[in-house]
Amino acid sequence: MNTNSNTYTVVYTTIIVIIVAAILAFAAMSLNGRQVANMKAETIGQILKAAKIESGESNAEIINAYKSQIAEAYTVDLTGAKKGELPAEDATIFTTSQLKAQNYKIAGGESDATLPVYVFKNGTKVVPIYGAGLWGPVWGYVAVGTDGKIVGATFDHASETPGLGGKIKDDPAFSAQFDGKAFDFNDVVPFDIVKGGAPAGKVNAIDAITGATMTSKGLGEAVNAWARAYAPVLAAAPCCCEETQAEETTKTEE
Amino acid sequence: MANLKETFLNPLLKGNPITVLVLGICSSLAVTVELKGACVMALSVIAVTGLSSLVVSILRNTIPNRVRIIVQLVVVAMMVILVDQLLKAFAYGIDKQLSVYIGLIITNCIVMGRIEAFALGQKPIPSLIDGVANGLGYGMILIIVAFFRELLGSGTLFGLPVLKAIGYTNNGLMILPPMALILLGCVIWVQRSIQKDLQEK
Repeated sequence: MNTNSNTYTVVYTTIIVIIVAAILAFAAMSLNGRQVANMKAETIGQILKAAKIESGESNAEIINAYKSQIAEAYTVDLTGAKKGELPAEDATIFTTSQLKAQNYKIAGGESDATLPVYVFKNGTKVVPIYGAGLWGPVWGYVAVGTDGKIVGATFDHASETPGLGGKIKDDPAFSAQFDGKAFDFNDVVPFDIVKGGAPAGKVNAIDAITGATMTSKGLGEAVNAWARAYAPVLAAAPCCCEETQAEETTKTEE
Repeated sequence: MANLKETFLNPLLKGNPITVLVLGICSSLAVTVELKGACVMALSVIAVTGLSSLVVSILRNTIPNRVRIIVQLVVVAMMVILVDQLLKAFAYGIDKQLSVYIGLIITNCIVMGRIEAFALGQKPIPSLIDGVANGLGYGMILIIVAFFRELLGSGTLFGLPVLKAIGYTNNGLMILPPMALILLGCVIWVQRSIQKDLQEK
């Protein structure tokens, strides 16, 4: 057969493309459930890690740890008023793409933003942050304890440079800097990531990453924008002690 | 059989895709900051080069000559997307770490280069071996470079702190891409001083 004729070429390429498309569509559909489950478990794992709650490595262990430790998960608007519940029994959380949608609303100051808050049984509140790094989005979770201090933070990114901006996720020493710090809503910015080193003793500042100025800057902006959005929730943190203690007592009684 | 052995061994040393053919440089600069990433990248490239060489070789007599590059590209792209999807489903953490670089295997010159130079004219089994061997040759250099970059740049190997104990200060230059190029140059230098027949007059 003449493999160089026009008809042959057109028919051949059409068939190849259809076969390849079918294989890829099949692969995407059959693997989708697993991929979504992986992403959800990863997000929940990050929430737990921020709140310093131990969980296993596997997806099931992470989800079980979340279900057993969560006290209440709900959504708020920009004024801090409760909007809805995120049912704990099936571990409903906001996915990263949902955070992205809310990020636009926060940036635009739209009051109908829906922001998730995860409250654990020890009173720790975990809130997400989302923003732009150097190459793509950066996001993460900040856990604030009942005393208003930050318990822990985890960050993740889509495409920051490994070894530089990627350190926001990979370098435990970076996120560990958040531990014991606090947001100061009376300061110029609630939280500062300082290039060249944070001044000693400042409660709401940490060091930026060497060689990753843009990522550090983007992350700082993301933390501040979302901290401001959550200000009503986070500023009110200490007053929740009683409620949490009451909950803990009921737990012991059970 | 001797021929197949030659097909397998040649890309590892004498015809190494990175150090001799100088292909696939871009990705070897990008993924060699950490050993773990370099290893998974090596495995992914081995799978992609091997399988796409095999598929193209099976199809070689039917592919219309005028659109052969496009057809090859479609096959390679399919393999890369499959690898990416499988990693996302079964090795999610590693897929996250390699992020964009898996997708960029498509642009790796080695894959298309071997298909054009070898798989289009050879039977499926030698093509598969050639593809896998070229992936191995690529991966080998990747791991050598990543070893030095992670060890001297971060003081760790596979994330384990190795040099911290002796008070080593991390060399930030090692982490940056230019250092990968310099290291690659050193690897080429060492190889050529050992294999004298590679030296140009």
